[in-house]
Amino acid sequence: MTHHNDGVTTMPPTAAAAQAHRRTLLKAGLFGAASMAAGLRAPAVRAQAKRFAGVTINGAAFQHSFHAALKSWLPELEDKTGLKVNFELQSFPIYNQRMDLELSTHGSAYDFCNIGTPYAGRWITSGWMTQLDEFAHNANLTAADWEPGDFARGPLAILSDANGHIFGFPWVAGAIVMGIARSDLLEKAKLPIPATLDELVQTCLRTNAPGKTYAFVNDQLHHWEWPPYLMNEGGTIFRQPPTDLMPMLNTPQAIKAAEIYTQLLSSKCAPPGVLSYTDDQSQRMQLAGRANIRTASIDWLVPLAKLKDSKVRSTVRYAPLPKGPGGSFPGVNANGFGIPVGAKNKEAAWTFIQWALSKASFERMALQKAYVTVPRRSIIATPQFKEAMTINGQDVGQLYIDTVDAPGVSDYMKYRNMAVFPQVGEKINIAISQIISGQANAKTALDQAESAAIADIRKAGVKL
Amino acid sequence: MLLGPVLAVLAVITLLPTVYLFVISLTPLNLTKPGTAGDFSHIWQNYRYMLADMRLRDSLWTQVKLSASTVAFQVVLGFLAALLLNHSARVGRIVRTSLLIPMVLPPIVVAIIWKMVFSPDISPLWWLFNWFGWNVPVPITDARFALGSIVLADTWEWFPFTMMIILAALSMMPEELVEAARLDGATPVQLTWYITLPYLRGALLVAGLFRLIDSIKAFPLIYLLTSGGPGTVTEVPNYYIFVQSFNFSYVGYSSAITVVLVAMVCVLSWFIVRVVSGGDRAE
Repeated sequence: MTHHNDGVTTMPPTAAAAQAHRRTLLKAGLFGAASMAAGLRAPAVRAQAKRFAGVTINGAAFQHSFHAALKSWLPELEDKTGLKVNFELQSFPIYNQRMDLELSTHGSAYDFCNIGTPYAGRWITSGWMTQLDEFAHNANLTAADWEPGDFARGPLAILSDANGHIFGFPWVAGAIVMGIARSDLLEKAKLPIPATLDELVQTCLRTNAPGKTYAFVNDQLHHWEWPPYLMNEGGTIFRQPPTDLMPMLNTPQAIKAAEIYTQLLSSKCAPPGVLSYTDDQSQRMQLAGRANIRTASIDWLVPLAKLKDSKVRSTVRYAPLPKGPGGSFPGVNANGFGIPVGAKNKEAAWTFIQWALSKASFERMALQKAYVTVPRRSIIATPQFKEAMTINGQDVGQLYIDTVDAPGVSDYMKYRNMAVFPQVGEKINIAISQIISGQANAKTALDQAESAAIADIRKAGVKL
Repeated sequence: MLLGPVLAVLAVITLLPTVYLFVISLTPLNLTKPGTAGDFSHIWQNYRYMLADMRLRDSLWTQVKLSASTVAFQVVLGFLAALLLNHSARVGRIVRTSLLIPMVLPPIVVAIIWKMVFSPDISPLWWLFNWFGWNVPVPITDARFALGSIVLADTWEWFPFTMMIILAALSMMPEELVEAARLDGATPVQLTWYITLPYLRGALLVAGLFRLIDSIKAFPLIYLLTSGGPGTVTEVPNYYIFVQSFNFSYVGYSSAITVVLVAMVCVLSWFIVRVVSGGDRAE
């Protein structure tokens, strides 16, 4: 057979020619086989040049837009390092419970996982997570420009133990601020943005319009949203964490804080059924302009200005959490990535974490995905981020960094890192809902919460 | 000969976990403290905690209220629906099929449906109430009605089950009994009271027993609708065990509560089975 330029194939005219042609074919076949072999081997040879060629790691986290974006970018990591990542995403409560069980057995099913509030304290103090300082400060494992010191203080403190050892690096930092969806209603009533908790109560009582715009709304996570009220009133969750874990839930300051908080969530200020509200529901009420003020994590409040279907884009304003006689202690929470102590491939897991939490990754998240709760200072300081977070003339980015990076935040947020905080937090939830639903007054409910918390802490073997 | 393997399988899948549960209940096992797994130094400690645990006692009382009302409603409603459907074969088939829908839905879906019904910001029912200008309290966040809302949702989901059992029994009922009573001039109420109800006694007890045991396993509705609240007014032992075990990691303590709960269910089942079989002998 000969190939003409036009691609047409014809039979050879003679036997010799045919013999010669067979040799040509053989040569061609050998060459082809060699080429094929080389071709087959080529990717492997190329892959061997990559450090984690052929390595697969498993990770898990809860469903979140940050994780979804990371998952879609994973092929880039594989292309760069050869590392293949199986990244499982589950709903928030399911993830936490499954991972809690998995970590408690020191299992090796996952090489990295999400670590965050409210479980971070328990997982860290129980020794279920790997200390990350040795990875972050090892020049052989970590790029020089990764800069662990670039992460904001508040979220990093949540993912560290009492001695400051880091067990997780944050991908999100929540900071409690005040979001006023309908600031026009305050202007109409000639009321300033409340600066103290007492002013907040008075403002809500005066502007509540049942059926139209409720003055206040919040979700049911009182163990997260009430402690800043308690601390602003001069109270504390534990007497002196981590050395003295005596709960301080029924002090005069706690009773005052509970009275303020529950008045805001009573029928005098909040929509009916608010006790069962989730974060989504509270946000939806604000987006529709049917609820005005909320003190919550900033990531639930910025969408009021950013989402297209928000009816309050032009009226939303932001302010720090109102102060109390004790000062201002806005809550900071964090979620990050860590490495389970039983993980099989910690170096590969660290490579994933480095990539996922690099400056480039956050920059991309901020610019492409409108991601606002960035825990890296250098990104927050960029002009692009500042521009994105300047809302209705307000520098909300500054408000955010002032909260998550405030001096002292790592001290007053220590209570969240205590292994027995879930027990105490649950008593707070019960007490607050008892007060709001009229089952008990603040003192009675908090007295019960205090004694129940003491009993549960003792059950954990902690001496009080 | 054949009984041996069956008993062995039963021992592995039922008896062994129960024994393991009991053994765990004798330890202070806390997932955050691995050393507690083999600590048998105070084997009755968890049971002593239970005696002083007021919240557990409250949850048992809540369980009594929940079980009594759900079983009563489901048996009565199931009985009435079965009586109505038994009379009309053609309409009965269509209605019966549609009434079965709640029962075959996954419990989580049922909970989500009722969550939407009881959430004023998205509930069509509350839009209607608002339109009429009625200020109706939200049952799942009102301590007076929270348990009632669970009872309502559970009854909606499960009365078709009792209805099916009773319908099956009704279809077996000898026609002569009814005809003889009619000839004697019995009214429909007398027919139901003196003929149908005594005949259905066994079926009603079986349906009630099944629902009673199932009511003790109540979880998805409570988890999604009220989370045991407001406060702890809808907290039943099953939910309390979940909190102790999965939120606080007190596996030893939650095992002890589970052991007691299992024992209570066994005693209750034995008692009711005796009543049912006693009734059969009387017939």
